Amino acid sequence: MSSSPLPPDDPGIKLRDHTYDGIQEYDQRLPNWWLYTLYGAIVFWVIYWFVYMIAGIMPTDGSRVDTAMAGISAAKLASSIDVSNDDKFWEMSGNVVFTDAGKQTFTSLCTPCHLPSMRGKSENLAAVGPDLTDTAWIHGGTPKELFAVVSKGVMAKGMPAWEPVLGQKKSVEVVAYILSHHQKGEAITVEVSK
Amino acid sequence: MSEQPTVKPPSPRLPKTRLTPTVDSVTSIASDGSRRDLHPADVHGRFTTARRWSGWGLIAFYLVLPWIPLNGHPAVFIDIAERRFHFFGYTLAAQDTWLLFFGVTGLGFALFFLTALFGRLWCGWACPQTVYLEHVYRVIERWIDGDATQRRELAAAPLTAAKAGKRVAKHGLYILASLLITHLFLSYFVSLPELWDMMQHAPGEHWAAFLFVFIAAGILYFNFAWFREQLCIVICPYGRLQSALTDDHSLSIGYDAQRGEPRGKLRQEAGVGSELARAVSAEARASSLTHAKPGACVDCNRCVQVCPTGIDIRHGLQMECIGCAACIDACDEVMTRVKRPTGLIRYDSFAGLTGLATRWVRPRTILYGVLLCVGIAVATFAFSTVKPANFLVFRTGGASYFVGPEDVRNQFMVRLVNKLTVPATFIVSSEGLPAGLHQSGFEAPVTLAPMAESVSPLVLVARRHDYHGPFKFTVRVRDAAQTFTLAREVEFMGPDAHLLKEDEEHDKESHERKP
Repeated sequence: MSSSPLPPDDPGIKLRDHTYDGIQEYDQRLPNWWLYTLYGAIVFWVIYWFVYMIAGIMPTDGSRVDTAMAGISAAKLASSIDVSNDDKFWEMSGNVVFTDAGKQTFTSLCTPCHLPSMRGKSENLAAVGPDLTDTAWIHGGTPKELFAVVSKGVMAKGMPAWEPVLGQKKSVEVVAYILSHHQKGEAITVEVSK
Repeated sequence: MSEQPTVKPPSPRLPKTRLTPTVDSVTSIASDGSRRDLHPADVHGRFTTARRWSGWGLIAFYLVLPWIPLNGHPAVFIDIAERRFHFFGYTLAAQDTWLLFFGVTGLGFALFFLTALFGRLWCGWACPQTVYLEHVYRVIERWIDGDATQRRELAAAPLTAAKAGKRVAKHGLYILASLLITHLFLSYFVSLPELWDMMQHAPGEHWAAFLFVFIAAGILYFNFAWFREQLCIVICPYGRLQSALTDDHSLSIGYDAQRGEPRGKLRQEAGVGSELARAVSAEARASSLTHAKPGACVDCNRCVQVCPTGIDIRHGLQMECIGCAACIDACDEVMTRVKRPTGLIRYDSFAGLTGLATRWVRPRTILYGVLLCVGIAVATFAFSTVKPANFLVFRTGGASYFVGPEDVRNQFMVRLVNKLTVPATFIVSSEGLPAGLHQSGFEAPVTLAPMAESVSPLVLVARRHDYHGPFKFTVRVRDAAQTFTLAREVEFMGPDAHLLKEDEEHDKESHERKP
């Protein structure tokens, strides 16, 4: 941080020796702070290269992504529900916390086809979706089969796959809500689809 | 002009050798590459006063905006977390980011236009670098360290307790100012209550914001305490663009060499000046070193002493000039004192300084002006199309259409986004549907919470005997109060109607089952 004015012994501006087409070139120094940014970048590069590439002190971006993804799937697994357990579904169907949440989702997404009454074609022949309150099922009537239909859809008939949209929790809640219109152990008929 | 002894004011404290700017090198960089600190002298005058007021006004504007609530949000609130951008009561959503195009190009063309007309008005009067440096940091420095001479002496003095105390006080205030500015800056993005909440918690709970504020404050401190004019001279691209954006008729700060030269010491006997100086012939000028009759410039060097980038404006327009007008005020003060007309250094075009008339209307200003107007017109139209909701219709996954035993069916999902900060009710309807088409979904209006979004199905069913092939129709969204409407054209897809009929004849039986 020199602050003095031009010292008397300052050599001033230097000219390069060469001359081309009568044009001469100044030989002025870059500002020191500018050079320091260059030196700093070189030092940074060496440290970075050593830390990441040689010593492996810091995790690389790839391994950080892997760790984060593993963390996400672990969290998913920890909060996921055993969707092959019919009893669990029936248990949830008796709990208003699940059925109310399921009803909300059902009302906003399922009613255009299955109608608010859930009775679909039984109520109105022009409706798109089948009756979900009767005991006749097309793609299986056990809770885990019901969940499979909700989560994976029936593409050929226009039932969308909802789990990618809603996630597992909301899909399960919808199944619980549907099951709340049924009795555990009721007699069901299944029409095997072609 | 070099190595002139100081004429005015004749201060015995000034070092013998004086800073003599040249056009060949940067004053603030010594020939060994080291930095030479500039200590611009105090200056008074109309431009300095006006600049101080406008600078403080701009700082106040910046500091106050986050505190003014408008429609329930700060006047300017770029809400990163919610992806909502509030500008003076007008709210934009992330979906409106494309409008940023007009902000960026508008800024560009406005700057082009203003630069072609008025040169670097922005740099001297409105750039945050100048505004904060001149009206905050240099004010602190002046207050702690004294005027230019005292500052220079203090810098050269050995480190004593008194000097250390001053340095600590000055840099402490610099750091405080930098922290204030960056905290306010963060509040533009997180709002003040959130900022206050963060400040009361440990940094570990919000590392990103904490690091941002402290690193930004560190950069500001470095910039305003030490880097200063280097940013304008070496880094800022705007200054470098000047030669492309301005011409002989653009306003800049210049020295009237015709009037001022040949410069010379003030002699009492040569008191009457300017008109004589104008009439000086070439021979008289050449001999003016021996004769006592110089030009209007008394070569007092005040314009150099007050320059914050360390140039001599008498060399003409230079890249380093940030157009701060300090030299105008300095020269006017001196001219007034020696009873010569002011304006030897003034806002004028290059043409004006050489005695010609400044042409304001010229191809460059017309072109920039037209481009700016086109930009403004298009931007106005673009902003007028922004509705308080966003709306999208897309086909559900799976098949494009479904053919049932009785009907042909298309399934869509409608995404609605309420961009308002209050709940809104939307009515979704399909228009241009052929007779007999049945719509399910959106029978009732949809109410969305503030800034909420929903995705719901819209199913269209055509009975087979009403179906006559694919067609286009319109899905329309209105708000309950009918203040706006959004529409999208969608295609109802399906098989060829004739083929469907034939198909029906063939396998009537196979469809006779529960769907």
